[in-house]
Amino acid sequence: MQDARIRLGSAALLSVAAFISVEGACAVFIWWLLFTPRMRSVRNRSMILGMLALIGVVAAMIMISGGNWVSYFARMGVILLVGMWLYTEQEHGDLLSVAVWAFGNRAGFELGMVGECAMQVAEALSGDFSRIQFAMRLKGDVWGIKKLVPAGLILIHDAMVRADTITELLAARGYQKGGTLCPKFRTGPVDLLAGTCAICVLIFALIPVSEFFILYR
Amino acid sequence: MAVPDMRLTVDHATVQRGAWSLFADGTFSDGIHLVSGVVGSGKSTLALVMAGLFVVTSGTVKRDGIKSMMLSMQFPEFHITGLSVAEECESWGLDTGTVIRSARLEISGSVSPLSLSRGELKRLHLACILARKDDLLLLDEPFSSLDCGEKERLCSQLNARSQGITVIFTHEQSAFPRVDQIWEIQNGELFNVGKMPEALVRWQHAPALIKKLLDAGKCPANLTPDAIREAACRTHGSG
Repeated sequence: MQDARIRLGSAALLSVAAFISVEGACAVFIWWLLFTPRMRSVRNRSMILGMLALIGVVAAMIMISGGNWVSYFARMGVILLVGMWLYTEQEHGDLLSVAVWAFGNRAGFELGMVGECAMQVAEALSGDFSRIQFAMRLKGDVWGIKKLVPAGLILIHDAMVRADTITELLAARGYQKGGTLCPKFRTGPVDLLAGTCAICVLIFALIPVSEFFILYR
Repeated sequence: MAVPDMRLTVDHATVQRGAWSLFADGTFSDGIHLVSGVVGSGKSTLALVMAGLFVVTSGTVKRDGIKSMMLSMQFPEFHITGLSVAEECESWGLDTGTVIRSARLEISGSVSPLSLSRGELKRLHLACILARKDDLLLLDEPFSSLDCGEKERLCSQLNARSQGITVIFTHEQSAFPRVDQIWEIQNGELFNVGKMPEALVRWQHAPALIKKLLDAGKCPANLTPDAIREAACRTHGSG
């Protein structure tokens, strides 16, 4: 999908649709099969497995407490797929362009820049995480739950240091508020079709399934 | 009993990452090897490949006679697994007091390693690494975050390593230990520039001072400050 506005908008609508109901999640899954490169859109398979495991843990807790764990697992799993697709398709500057297009050169620029910084940190975190795992292997340590605390602390610490550095750089360059950007977008026919389908998916998720079969009843 | 020869062989190893690629072929034996190259040339990737932590696209990495190996990554934070300096030293199997003294730090073992400055943390990490006396020591940018005095001290410690293979990956231009062999990465390929001091004339990434000395017809015997000083003070005909 070329148009960042439609991509971000679709992702937001699809996430809401998947969260509302299992039927919505099924529709979102079909949308994901039709309009994304499917598993090719997953950049880091070990990361998605880790996140799926995390969702699985929560689902297990829901199951133990007698809740509908299937619904939770299906809905969150589909949201994860949409998120992964969005993350992979994202290009540098997309968030800034969309935010400026939507909210202008002052608030939009600020918002977009925060989003871009967050994306940069997310990219760096993945690299940092593999290096931490390398270091543990070098020490002969086995990766496990106990190692999560120091690894998490290092990741948070590094993210804070990066944020500090970016802030100082912006201040040193005289940045105060807002900026100027003329965003340009390329919209293809597939983008329009995918965007329209995403709206339909949300409408489908909002209307109870029984309403579709009202005549049958 | 004679110590068997140690050898690290990188046999036609290729790493392909999109349009970027790295090719390495060479044998690293006992002594200090310097691998130079510009930022982004693939020094860190090669260090990971040699450590067996990065899967190569093709080729192999073989270690003969090497019983223990350690890689020091450029950023010392990545090595931290303990929540305090004492825990960190223990994770290396070392005594906290000895490490703190060796790193010349004035800190307590109870402080968090993340509360140390990057330079202090680097000193702590290098003290842990050098205390282990591994057969193969891979150092990725070991001089970064160190001041001149600490760089010199690190060089002395590396010179004191009595045996084993030490590979230093760096774009450092001023502080060097006594180097035995120079390698450089150019256009995605690792080249064996040669043994010291003959390699100096072929070394593309040679520091400006070395190039100046060579232009003046004064080839230093090595890269240590003493060797450079001796070459600089040499009068024509004396060397």
